[in-house]
Amino acid sequence: MEDFIKQYGFLIIQMTFAAMLGLSMYLPLMAGQLSLASAGFYAIGGYIAAVMSTTVFAVPRGAPFPIEHLLMEMLVAGVVSAILAVIVGVPSLRLRGIYLALATIALVEIVRVVSLNLEITGGAIGIFGIPQPFNDKFSYGYIAFPMLLISAFFAYRLERSRIGRAFVSIREDELAAAAMGVNPTYYKVLSFVMGAVLAGMVGAVSAHFLNTWNSRQGTFDASVLYLAFVIIGGSRTFVGPIMGGLLLTALPEVLRALANTPDLFAAPVAKFLSDGRWIVYGVLIVIGTIFFPQGLITPSLFKWRPLKRWGLGRAKPALKEETA
Amino acid sequence: MDFNVLIQNVFNGLAVGGVYAIFALGYTLVFSILGIINFAHGAVFTLGAYFTYAFLGARFGFNGLLANQQLPFGVPFPLATLFGGLAAGVISVLIERVAFRPLRNRGADPLLTLVSSLGVAVAIVNVIQYLVGAEAYSYPSLTISLGIPPSVMLGGERPIVIRTVQIIIFSVSMVVLVLLTYFINYTKVGKALQAVAEDQITSRLLGINTDRLIVVTFFVSGFVGGIAGTLVGLSVSITGPYFGIAFGLKGLAVIVLGGLGSVPGAVLGGLVIGLGEALVPAQYVGYKDAIAFAVLFIVLLVRPRGILGRTLVQKV
Amino acid sequence: MSMLEAVRVTRNFGGLCAVNAVSFAVEQGEIFGLIGPNGAGKTTLFNLVTGLTEVSDGVVNFQGARLSGLKPHQIAAKGIARTFQNIRLFANLSALENVMISQHIHTRANVFDSILGTPRMRREEKMVREKAMSLLELVGLADRADDQARNFSYGDQRRLEIARALALEPTMLLLDEPGAGMNTNEKAALSDFIRQIRQQFDLTILLIEHHVPLVMGLCDRIAVLHFGQLIALGVPQDVQRDPAVIEAYLGDT
Repeated sequence: MEDFIKQYGFLIIQMTFAAMLGLSMYLPLMAGQLSLASAGFYAIGGYIAAVMSTTVFAVPRGAPFPIEHLLMEMLVAGVVSAILAVIVGVPSLRLRGIYLALATIALVEIVRVVSLNLEITGGAIGIFGIPQPFNDKFSYGYIAFPMLLISAFFAYRLERSRIGRAFVSIREDELAAAAMGVNPTYYKVLSFVMGAVLAGMVGAVSAHFLNTWNSRQGTFDASVLYLAFVIIGGSRTFVGPIMGGLLLTALPEVLRALANTPDLFAAPVAKFLSDGRWIVYGVLIVIGTIFFPQGLITPSLFKWRPLKRWGLGRAKPALKEETA
Repeated sequence: MDFNVLIQNVFNGLAVGGVYAIFALGYTLVFSILGIINFAHGAVFTLGAYFTYAFLGARFGFNGLLANQQLPFGVPFPLATLFGGLAAGVISVLIERVAFRPLRNRGADPLLTLVSSLGVAVAIVNVIQYLVGAEAYSYPSLTISLGIPPSVMLGGERPIVIRTVQIIIFSVSMVVLVLLTYFINYTKVGKALQAVAEDQITSRLLGINTDRLIVVTFFVSGFVGGIAGTLVGLSVSITGPYFGIAFGLKGLAVIVLGGLGSVPGAVLGGLVIGLGEALVPAQYVGYKDAIAFAVLFIVLLVRPRGILGRTLVQKV
Repeated sequence: MSMLEAVRVTRNFGGLCAVNAVSFAVEQGEIFGLIGPNGAGKTTLFNLVTGLTEVSDGVVNFQGARLSGLKPHQIAAKGIARTFQNIRLFANLSALENVMISQHIHTRANVFDSILGTPRMRREEKMVREKAMSLLELVGLADRADDQARNFSYGDQRRLEIARALALEPTMLLLDEPGAGMNTNEKAALSDFIRQIRQQFDLTILLIEHHVPLVMGLCDRIAVLHFGQLIALGVPQDVQRDPAVIEAYLGDT
């Protein structure tokens, strides 16, 4: 067990972050809005934590970083993300259609360019030596696991509330929802803000976890990756993006392990599995949208046989790896 | 900024803007027909540049599956550009078949098509990286091989220097634009395209083969996109498999500024953003790449349908 | 004071004038029919009343207050519910969810109530669910409450749309071709049903219909639109004899 944690502790925490970032993409999608901003808010949250922990909250080199300061950074990251999300969301969400996707791409790019140029964000080099609240990486689970549980519970309750129903009605038919008294702009902005807050908070923890933060943290690519979590995992229940985030983050490790298993694959295949994982991602997104438009985990799975979700949660992705 | 520098920057801006324009046209053509944004267009642009490199008979680098490989023949640059564009067009058609048509036939949510095109973009970019590595490639110097001086000087004491490459880029962009405008407005296929853009169902009833026209659209879109890729590669070298992505994102700002689905709007938007970037004062040059996106925000705030866009009438 | 009043309402789409200076008033408790050949501007008029399309000129007043300029959800909150000609249910949601969504404006639970499951939120949810079930019962779909709306037959979808509209607890109900695709017997039953809900929920009803016998038997008054113009208005017997109306219908066929 100890060996396992030593080897895979880092990966497990990364998977937890990925699950939450998937959720942060899922929330706006619940209201039918494609946002590619999660990476941007993640980057902003990370910069907030990186800057705060190396300036106002600075601790002597090597000294442990107080957890309450980390929680405070998460709070600031959440609030700043929320404000920014309103500023970006209101003009683009008054409109119907793909404008949010475009505005959020713009946001991600502006964040990247600005962080490359500002002194406070360390320019192209970024910020180094972010203090550590824990002695080892796996201990970040003390923050990451409860965070995932809380956000999953949040999404679970949300789906069963009038607010969740308002989101979904907009996704199904925005005009009809409006005619039934749902204010589309308000709920679209709300869903977008929820996703932004979650991504910002994950970024804050992640900056400490990774120890360093720079402009490569929030890129267009990262957004597409988080989107893949939702599309592959499933966009009709919060379980989808969580499973998507966990599985797709573990996938490269699995591929690498497969590639390193002697005699399992011919050398070119093994090389492809280890170097070509992004190709696999891209193809998975295309296959997913065409053949599994609702993703692997759909609400109906829970209605049929509750136990079946175990079998499907594992079996289907394996099947798709083969097709890819 | 003194006058000479200003003029110089305007020329720079027009050259870059011309490329933005023909790049954005690819987006706009597809958008006007299908009402979706094809995110794979940036990847097709990148492919165009690499194809041209291959057709020149140049050797690939040290990384990737095709390390040190080259075609057994090479063609002159103008021909290679044309071939590169054609190959990009073919790829664009393939993308339509694989990633768009199945969804269209099912009447899927346009959001899914958008996601699917993102998947294609990610796959293509990484296939390029897998095949030829992430390194930068430059075309063998064109100006030397054709015996043209690398730049033209205007004026006496402190001349305005215009790179020959910029003149080539701007002229090629304009030729492509004129041909495209002619194609859309004065040919039978172009008119049919307009009809499909106006109303797909009625056009089908009138006997227009919409599927074939969509293929034509994707081909033309990929063709001009591929040529745009080559032109940028000529100007600043192919900086790696990702070099189209940055253009792809800026292209979005261009088409929103011009008006989604508007062909003259894409041209105008491209030139405006190209000029805007060229006129950024030297001390803020680090922020140049954010200009297009700042413009995008302002347009969304002030005039979401863009400069030349029409208001879309939603059918209830 | 009239329940609904249209004053010189006009809507242009580009060069086309879909609704041209149309004025009429619907009184409280009336069943008011809107008829006319295809493309006469009936659905556009519905969209102008419900705010899905903005008026180019003129105003719509509801219970004496101006509607024009309000957003669709604000108009819904004032007590105007509608159905759609081409059925716009939330297709992937269950029948029950469809009806529950329409009670949005009558519930108050905020994000914190919803996440924490406060007593207020639980009470509300229970109330919403019961109300939705009773409306499904009213339209005869209670036994299929958990089925996805997309799997319903055409006629059942129309009934579900009416249940969804009623969940808004409207003062005024706009029905866009409620009898489309129904046979004569079903249409007769529909007439009875519309009268029944007017009685039960104290509604004023504005409806669009092509089927002339249905309109004649059901409506208290009728307005006839032709190419965006109002060409006749009055009780069914008078309108039926109006030469302009006969001309419009015969000219159309």
